[in-house]
Amino acid sequence: MATVTAPVPRIALPGVLKHRAVHKLLLLALAAAVLVPLANARWASGSWPDALTVDLTDPLTRTSDWIIDNRDSHPLFLYFFGHVSNAVVLSVRAVYLVLLAAGWAGVTAFAGLVAWRVAGVRLALGTAAAFLACGLLGMWVPTMQTLALMVVAVLASVVVGAVLGLAAGLSDRMDRILRPVLDTMQVLPAFAYLLPVVLVFGIGVPAAVLATVVYAAPPMARLTSLGLRGADKEVLEAVESLGSTARQRLLTARIPLARKELLLGLNQTIMMALSMAVIASVIGAGGLGDRVYQALASVDVGAALAAGIPIVLLAVVLDRVTGAAGDGTPGAGRSGRAQWAYALGATLVVAVAARLLGRLDWPDAWVLNIAEPVNRAVDWMTAHLYSGVPVVGGTADWAGHFTTWVLDPVRDGLQGLPWWSVLLIVAALAWVIGTWQTALTAVLAMATIGVLGVWKPSLDTLSQVLAAVAVTLVLGFAIGITAARSDRFERLLRPVLDVFQTMPQFVYLIPVVALFGVGRAPAVAAAVVYALPAVVRITTQGLRQVDQAAMESARSLGATSGQQIRQVQLPLARPALLLAVNQGVVLVLAVVIIGGLVGGGALGYDVVFGLAQGDLATGLVAGAAIVCLGLMLDRVTQPTERRAKKGA
Amino acid sequence: MALTVPTRKPPTDDSATPVFAVDGLWKVFGPKADTVPGDPELASLPAAELRARTGCTAAVQDVSFDVRKGEVFVVMGLSGSGKSTLVRCLTRLIEPTAGNIAIDGEDVRAMDKSRLRELRRHRAAMVFQHFGLLPHRTVLDNVAYGLEIQGVGRAERRERAQQVVKKVGLEGMEQRRPGQLSGGQRQRVGLARALAADPEVLLFDEPFSALDPLIRRDMQEEVVRLHREEGRTMVFITHDLSEALKLGDRIALMRDGRVVQLGTPEEIVGSPADDYVREFVRDVPREQVMTVRTAMRPGDCGGTDHPGALAADAVVAEAIKVVARSHKPACVVEDGRCLGVVDHERLLDIVAGTELRKEAV
Repeated sequence: MATVTAPVPRIALPGVLKHRAVHKLLLLALAAAVLVPLANARWASGSWPDALTVDLTDPLTRTSDWIIDNRDSHPLFLYFFGHVSNAVVLSVRAVYLVLLAAGWAGVTAFAGLVAWRVAGVRLALGTAAAFLACGLLGMWVPTMQTLALMVVAVLASVVVGAVLGLAAGLSDRMDRILRPVLDTMQVLPAFAYLLPVVLVFGIGVPAAVLATVVYAAPPMARLTSLGLRGADKEVLEAVESLGSTARQRLLTARIPLARKELLLGLNQTIMMALSMAVIASVIGAGGLGDRVYQALASVDVGAALAAGIPIVLLAVVLDRVTGAAGDGTPGAGRSGRAQWAYALGATLVVAVAARLLGRLDWPDAWVLNIAEPVNRAVDWMTAHLYSGVPVVGGTADWAGHFTTWVLDPVRDGLQGLPWWSVLLIVAALAWVIGTWQTALTAVLAMATIGVLGVWKPSLDTLSQVLAAVAVTLVLGFAIGITAARSDRFERLLRPVLDVFQTMPQFVYLIPVVALFGVGRAPAVAAAVVYALPAVVRITTQGLRQVDQAAMESARSLGATSGQQIRQVQLPLARPALLLAVNQGVVLVLAVVIIGGLVGGGALGYDVVFGLAQGDLATGLVAGAAIVCLGLMLDRVTQPTERRAKKGA
Repeated sequence: MALTVPTRKPPTDDSATPVFAVDGLWKVFGPKADTVPGDPELASLPAAELRARTGCTAAVQDVSFDVRKGEVFVVMGLSGSGKSTLVRCLTRLIEPTAGNIAIDGEDVRAMDKSRLRELRRHRAAMVFQHFGLLPHRTVLDNVAYGLEIQGVGRAERRERAQQVVKKVGLEGMEQRRPGQLSGGQRQRVGLARALAADPEVLLFDEPFSALDPLIRRDMQEEVVRLHREEGRTMVFITHDLSEALKLGDRIALMRDGRVVQLGTPEEIVGSPADDYVREFVRDVPREQVMTVRTAMRPGDCGGTDHPGALAADAVVAEAIKVVARSHKPACVVEDGRCLGVVDHERLLDIVAGTELRKEAV
């Protein structure tokens, strides 16, 4: 592949591709030349023209007031939402009481035994240790609150997801209807789901559980459908050839064959539910998330960490145990059932023993107070590392510089652009990368933002997203390429990525607040840290899956490593890299929005503000803008092939 | 190519009702597929032209044959010739577009759902190329699966499955899962599953194509053995000519959805219907397929001791051994009567493939 300096450039495949892109751009330029002067003549303005906005505040406020007034009287609420709400409250409370009745010893024993049966001795010990650590940090009760909410939400998500997945897996028509909906739901930031639920149910546990279900059910549905559709055709044909009925086919072949996907769906549902259950503290979920939320509000990093560690432990344990269930061989028949019985019996014995000993509650003497030492450490950092460190500068300085030199110019630049040029850029990007459908969706989504009247804050959020994505991609590609070239580095990196990918978004806010204080830069930093693992992983996998024969032939022709990367690996891994960009954008957006809690401002702040002040109209409009922004960013970066699954 | 064709049974009675009677069968994929078989102009088009004209693919075109009781009926053709579609049409795993199929005289296409299930459960069982086993079940439960679907009780189906497992030589592996078996063993499970329901006909869809050559030979011998022991009717799909010649009592050779020749292995090799078939069988060792009945010079030898005394169904390779050993022509004997004589010259003609030309002269 040594380049020969040819006088006439050869038209190779990349040339043709460029050609197509040029065609699209020319067409777009033509349309723009006609439309832009027209638009400019009527609505000449830098920002989104006021004439084109629709003020939804009044109708939304009226709706929200109407719902609040009628919540106790209207039949829809009395006979439907009321029952749903009551059922949720009752079941969460019931699970919570059972957990409390089992006591810390009982719960720990049960969790350990389940982990042992499903995933072996090592994970069992790890699980037990994780639960004990939760108690040790003085977080036993919040942990149980979160767990109770999770149990109910996960059960409901699994039922809803499995039913939808069955429908989509068995009927092509349902699949065509559900697939785009589920795909879209999967790219939306968690914050977008909060407001509508609150509008109907008010702040409290029912809203938290339902938001969690809405957020966590899609992966179950997607994977159920995928599993049912992915079943080996010949096996199904063989089963049919033996004269089975449709029901027998489903129960004895299709569902068992989809076991792996179903368990992966369960795993993803649990992880998403945990992530959401923590975020839902903003709408009254209580538990660990609430502790983090309260602590962050008063910039009490020590307290936030004490509640954050149990979240991380819970996430890692839940992920590993359910993941092991998916990898392992199916339970070994009767002996397996007997061992389950033993496990349950042992739990009961431990719980009863603890009860008799009067040791139900975690003993106060065993609580390790880490908040104070952590806060002292943070104070020391504030004093010594924040600024004025010779040569390198302090962390707060970095954050300040990043804000002044990157975030501000990008934001001002975006807000300074004429509104139609933003639409044009979106259209051009989306069309060059994807198809005209994705471009149309992206432009419409962007225009909706303008119509909603939140053009400025949305561009502010967008500027944070762009900055974070740029940093993420530079770091992610660099690390990913290194990992793909060095087995040792990849081995070192893998466990780190595993842990980082399981952590709920919320937790990332704690360390960045400790390091950078509050503001937009910390929000961007949290987003980068959150999105980085997925980008690194996809890049590494993409580069490693490049056809070995192509690599070998490049080497045999004497290509240097640099040439191999530039000329063989990167071009062949293009789909994976595009996927990495898409994932990076989606994940970054999710955290930038949550960054509203730590001073990120813009749309995320509007949502939090709306919730805190009971001003649902502001929050709902911001939520809708988040949805549109998510849609736009996803479509702009969407390669023609759809990704397989979410990285989180 | 080392072929050993077993001495064939005398052909079964033609007058009995065939197990499968297929008449004018069509399977067309594509838009408005129904119109193709009925339209004489479209129906006569070659496959490529039909696709260009209508966007339809005719996988099976106007195919007719009978499968007689107790025979091994081989459908052979290259990939894309429509043979796998054809065998699936027999039990309507693929719904035929036009034509008639009868099993024991009963119209298959007129069957309702439950009757069709009955057919699949008890009368025709299929063995698949990639086995089609359920990976989450043990060998025994896979074999018993067909019985489970029929609603046979647990104890009884296990016992019956156990017998079949023994019959196909998988004893001691009952508790393994398909993932722990070799390809040959997996296909034995597939075979056992089909046998467990004790069906009237066994349908094989390229069952050994995915296996290594040595294992394939083992499995072919297994099928020959089973057929010898039980005399079950079999329809066998293959793309491997030597397999077809080895197993088939009669062979239907397919090309582009049509049957180009239907006959015994000897007829296919000895008198190919067209150039395509001739090209196909060119490398077949003829002495392994042709019988002395074809090779002999007809007429009684006149004597009473019948030197050599070959059976009429013996293949030429056997006759060569006898003649070479005795240095004398050998007699072909049936029911104690001499039918004819084979000598060096006659046998060499068969090996060289020159006998047809001579007769033509």
